[in-house]
Amino acid sequence: MKDLSNFNSLTPKELEAMDRAAGWSLSALELAEAQRQFRRMGRQPARGELETIAQTWSEHCKHKTFSGPVLYRDGKRTKKYKNLFKETIVKATRTLNKKWCLSVFTDNAGIVEFGKSGKWGLAFKAETHNHPCAVEPYGGAETGVGGVIRDILGVGLGAKPVLNTDTFCFGRLDRKYRLPKNALGPERIMRGVVEGVRDYGNRIGIPTAAGGLYFDDGYLLNPLVYVGCAGLIPVDKIEKRVVPGDLIVSIGGRTGRDGIHGATFSSANIDEETTSSAVQIGHAVNEKKALDVLMRARDLGLYNAVTDCGAGGFSSAIGELGSETGARVRLEKALLKDTRIEPWEIWVSESQERMILSVPKAKLKRLAAILDAENCEYCVLGEFPGDGRLLVTHGRESVVDLPMAFLHGGVPNFEKPAVRRAVAINSKAPAAPKDWGKALEALLAHPNVCSRHSVITQYDHEVQGGTVGKPLQGRYGDGPGDAAVIWPQAATLDLADFSGFAVGHGFAPAVGRVDPYQMALHSVDEAVRNLLCAGADVSRTAILDNFCAASPRDPLVMGDLVQAAEGCLAASLAYGAPFISGKDSFYNQSRDADGKEYPIPLSLLISATAPVEDVRRAITINFKEAGNPVYLAGVSLRGLGGSVYNEITDTGNNAVAALGLKAAVKLYAAIARAMRAGCVAAAHDVSQGGLAVTLAEMAFSGGLGARLDLSAAARERGLTAVELLFGESPARLALEVVKGREKEFLGFVKGLPAAEIGHVKEEPELSVSDGGSRLFSADIARLKACWRKELI
Amino acid sequence: MIIEIRTKEKYAGNEEAGFIGRMAHAGLKVKAARLSRLYRVEGDFSRAEFGRLGADLLTDPITETCSLTRPRAGLKGWRVEVWLKDSVTDVVGESVKGAVADVLGKEPQTVRFGRAYYVACESGLKLRHAVAKTLVNETVNKFGIEKI
Repeated sequence: MKDLSNFNSLTPKELEAMDRAAGWSLSALELAEAQRQFRRMGRQPARGELETIAQTWSEHCKHKTFSGPVLYRDGKRTKKYKNLFKETIVKATRTLNKKWCLSVFTDNAGIVEFGKSGKWGLAFKAETHNHPCAVEPYGGAETGVGGVIRDILGVGLGAKPVLNTDTFCFGRLDRKYRLPKNALGPERIMRGVVEGVRDYGNRIGIPTAAGGLYFDDGYLLNPLVYVGCAGLIPVDKIEKRVVPGDLIVSIGGRTGRDGIHGATFSSANIDEETTSSAVQIGHAVNEKKALDVLMRARDLGLYNAVTDCGAGGFSSAIGELGSETGARVRLEKALLKDTRIEPWEIWVSESQERMILSVPKAKLKRLAAILDAENCEYCVLGEFPGDGRLLVTHGRESVVDLPMAFLHGGVPNFEKPAVRRAVAINSKAPAAPKDWGKALEALLAHPNVCSRHSVITQYDHEVQGGTVGKPLQGRYGDGPGDAAVIWPQAATLDLADFSGFAVGHGFAPAVGRVDPYQMALHSVDEAVRNLLCAGADVSRTAILDNFCAASPRDPLVMGDLVQAAEGCLAASLAYGAPFISGKDSFYNQSRDADGKEYPIPLSLLISATAPVEDVRRAITINFKEAGNPVYLAGVSLRGLGGSVYNEITDTGNNAVAALGLKAAVKLYAAIARAMRAGCVAAAHDVSQGGLAVTLAEMAFSGGLGARLDLSAAARERGLTAVELLFGESPARLALEVVKGREKEFLGFVKGLPAAEIGHVKEEPELSVSDGGSRLFSADIARLKACWRKELI
Repeated sequence: MIIEIRTKEKYAGNEEAGFIGRMAHAGLKVKAARLSRLYRVEGDFSRAEFGRLGADLLTDPITETCSLTRPRAGLKGWRVEVWLKDSVTDVVGESVKGAVADVLGKEPQTVRFGRAYYVACESGLKLRHAVAKTLVNETVNKFGIEKI
């Protein structure tokens, strides 16, 4: 890299060349602002200072796009946002102002109340590790899981992780692509990612029990790897505060040259020059040692604050903890993996499994005793002085000497243009398939519908002994669960309290290609319905938003983002479900060997959690008993836009069913009451593949058939049988009601769209008709065989 | 010293079938395959100590066999050896390093973990292509192929 001794006099072009050579991913505006700062200070910068600025101002750390100003245009209509994130996501939470939200948007994860005792909070966080997984899937996924677990360890004074979640998006495995020289094929990426999540989660002893898989050409070169973690924290350990004079103590892994520039890497498109230097291999056992130390030291009150070393390493973690007090850091004290490392590299290295603690001097000895007992390495890097200045040295060399106010408040931002994408909508009636049964079989075998057992069974979802609602359910333990239900007794140590929580997801990028606003609504709705199907109290749903998008320099991408964010606001308010945390990832865009661009579709993962009052009464999806009546709740709407059916048979109909929020909320509240009363034996949401897939899954998971007539099902006028069976209109659930409790059930859903459509049968056959026309009759073993594909 | 651990033939069916399936996905027809785990242990140990590490620490004696020399391939074809590059953190190697110190009371200089694949197939060139496509990521792995 060019000499920094004349940094302050470089031209914008020279600055840009320097940025490229150093891999900072700073914009021209940001480089100019850094130059202005050093001119004001009357000196040239040190390499460590520019690295610190690049890291602190990176998209990964500052979320400049989502929290920046946006000018949105929809035809002639315009709307200005000063801060898109605050005016949508945060606004929803502030407006709802739920008392059970204990910590939102201020810490490493959101926290809500948990259980009846009032002693516990549930921390929940999800994030992405997309770019690293595209380059080195195994290491990228491992460190993604490790990172989000550390977020839970670093929330408040530390929460105990009790659940890992994972949702992945890959290119289609069943298609041939011509890839660029350094790109990995989707099967290769998927195998590596799954193995990485498996090895890290299984070794650290946290169940991986919720998530999903989604395949689309748009993810060919930019896979999405969403990883989440939930943990329990005592409510009196949520507050943390760095006290001036506290020591800066790093515990866990050592610092090496691995993972340099991970934060700034997140702000760049992946190209052929990208190497794996920004990716590492995780070490779950080291993180487990740090976890065990933290839980013991937390309960003894041996530190005042904690945070994880994530993207940006010491620079980010110490900078964050010392944002008010300042920090004095002596890098020569750091424990190193490798002595061939520059001081600035020690400062920004993203070596894994490290946590930073703010420790009162008088308590260091007791903390050290626990660290030694757990065989967990540590070093004292310096102190938090209270003067608001960040001073980092290595021996006599000054590495960083900057005011915190500039680092955290100096990032320039500029208004991004956003334009609504024009999509021609075709709502013509789709033609009926020649063979309804064959169409259902094709849907069940589709990669976005078929069984995920070949992935799920690699994960330990039973460790800690609290996974009540399992990812594979039913009579044979191989049906698809809607949501994980966790009984966190391993954290509460209270075997008499059966309070639990459910975690479910909603994800609808195919809908987003047509209507990003409806995509957000559908995603929140699907996540809430999944929780409801597990028997959770959805009136206390808390949600996380994880947006992934292509380059925000494209106004159409920004237009999609604005609409989806507005959808999030509307859905959150309607469902009374506040956002408690979230993350975004941009620049998910690459080019293939033929020069074809692969921008990902706007992808919004909604992760939702809600309490389950008594885990012994959690509900699963499989049919339970012959003779029980089956109900369809919700109105079936017209439109096949975003449906799996449209992928196997191009109907030309791309209309997306608009979600009626108020009606959905009313319906779910009634069903929740019926579930609490014990009227519902099984519940399953209608999502990918539509109603026919939902019913088939309930049948073969229970090893029972059903004879169903959909003629009584509530429907929009003009709805075709194709849309009824294979459409994916939201806010619908199939319910198995307990025989003899029908009257009671009908009392709960009186005046709402819930209609009996038939009965569960002992004979293993699913037959479905709609009034006079018989649609299909299929052997459930045959349906299951189609569904049970080996993905890897 | 490289310690090679291999699943006994009567228990190896699943892992071999999985490997053959993965190669088939990459367009290579494999007639037969045997798989091994490799531990490169560098330290001032006697042959007997290496033997003890292999037999007592790294091998499940019910299902696996251990060898300090290269075992008989049991097939005609190629041997593929895959390691992480030296600059890449080897978590398994690090864990084994700690375990070796616990067993022998002396810490080795380094332990690295790798895999060996004995493959009977039609062409070495096609094998190289399939290996690059499925078994290794050349940004973090190094590998070699030799005829056996």
